[in-house]
Amino acid sequence: MVNKELKPSINEGDFVLAALNEKRRVDGRGIYDVRSLQISFGADYGQVEIQLGRTRVAAKVSAKVERPRNDKPTEGILLFNTEISPMACPTFEAGSRSEEEVLISRIIEKSLRRSRAIDTEGLCIVAGEKVWEIRVDLHFLDHDGNLVDCAGIAAITALSHFRRPDVTVVGEEVTIHPIDQRNPVPLSIHHLPICVSFAFFDQGQLLVVDPNYLEEKLKQGSMVITMNIHKEICALSKAGGIPLEMDQVLRCSQIALVKVTETTEQIQKALETDKASRKKAASSGAK
Amino acid sequence: MVKRPDRRTENTQLRAFSASQNLLNQADGSAKFDLGETSVMVSVVGPAEVQLRDEKMDEATVEVVVRSAVGVSTTTEKLQEQLLRTAVEPVILGGMMPRTLVQIVVQIIKDDGSVLAAAVNGITLALLDAGIPMKFMTAAMTCMIDRVSKDIVMDPTSEELENASSVHMFAFDNLNKTPHVLLSDSSGQFSQEQYFECHDRCYEAADKVQGFLRVAVESKKQKEYQQTVNE
Repeated sequence: MVNKELKPSINEGDFVLAALNEKRRVDGRGIYDVRSLQISFGADYGQVEIQLGRTRVAAKVSAKVERPRNDKPTEGILLFNTEISPMACPTFEAGSRSEEEVLISRIIEKSLRRSRAIDTEGLCIVAGEKVWEIRVDLHFLDHDGNLVDCAGIAAITALSHFRRPDVTVVGEEVTIHPIDQRNPVPLSIHHLPICVSFAFFDQGQLLVVDPNYLEEKLKQGSMVITMNIHKEICALSKAGGIPLEMDQVLRCSQIALVKVTETTEQIQKALETDKASRKKAASSGAK
Repeated sequence: MVKRPDRRTENTQLRAFSASQNLLNQADGSAKFDLGETSVMVSVVGPAEVQLRDEKMDEATVEVVVRSAVGVSTTTEKLQEQLLRTAVEPVILGGMMPRTLVQIVVQIIKDDGSVLAAAVNGITLALLDAGIPMKFMTAAMTCMIDRVSKDIVMDPTSEELENASSVHMFAFDNLNKTPHVLLSDSSGQFSQEQYFECHDRCYEAADKVQGFLRVAVESKKQKEYQQTVNE
């Protein structure tokens, strides 16, 4: 349990606002610029580390066979763990969940679970008895603003990368094939929801996309739009802060679409590159 | 010649070490330590403000938080936190920073065996990176005794650990020429002779880790020096 949050100084606040009034940001970006995205995969399937500028989030996907929920006997279970440790920022306490953590957790759940991005019906093994429980653990390693977008990208990339063990069902008999005997199977993913965060300043007159740590501390309002490349809005979160006019919201959704398209391309390219290098490693190892 | 699952050929052979420091921005010090596929990220914040109820009048309070790769924190993590804290607390010169907090967060990225040893090594590097004064550097290594062959297997993977009759982890200092144990954590059934044999083997292995830690820190300092000279 470390320091209470220190608000940025008045000087810093005035400087950031003055720069924004000239359409510039303190870290040199334009107001619509998203920071550079770096995607790296671990040795296992479903192990991913995402860097959005200096913000770092790692995701790990695992699968287990469990009993399904009583009210949904033919659907698999999708769990998200978004506990933020003090590693990300000392102001996060190890035990209790802050308001920020709860908001991040809710946005991730809405964006990935409620939007039905993952086909949960396909996770059923024996209806009413055995289903796959897919667990996504998000580890927040470094907080330099916009944990939500980074975590969202980490989660959906890890889910796209993950391979679960293959299963054969003959009557009542279920055989789960170990990964070294039969190639594991990817999850059925309908679409890739990507979150784009906006921060507002000066009574809603100024906006930035992908706020960094300082901008987040100084913002007066915020909004997170989760979209996919099919122009579908999966989730929209505007939890308090400065009220926005309708055309501002619409304009933000148009900006979000551009960012979502760029990000989706990057994710798919990274997945392809990783697939190719794994194939190469497997074929050279088999020799 | 023994055939081990990850293509190692000797029971005494350790996995490849890998470390990097100063990765995170929010933490005062950070390090990543890999033992083969086992990967641990450690962050250190301190000396920082401490809660009144945890305050110690004459020395720093050391807090360790362990987060596992998968799932929420359970009693396993609580035990690891306690082990690491009791091992690391005497190493830190807490008396120089009374009424402050040194918070160490260990994030397990992947556990493929020997995760506690990797954590100890990572903590050493992270504390150095944060500039926290220490009495000495610690290095740790794990070994196990195979259920069937009764051989001592160094740095086992999680696949090898399934056949263990006992597992031993030792952490040593680098202050003395003879082995001085900082932390010893053993589980399973074993004899006195087996325990002391494991102790000796782990000491030899920990020595190699110490050498590696030294090289890692030296090369980091070299890089930093180059950057300041080039400016």
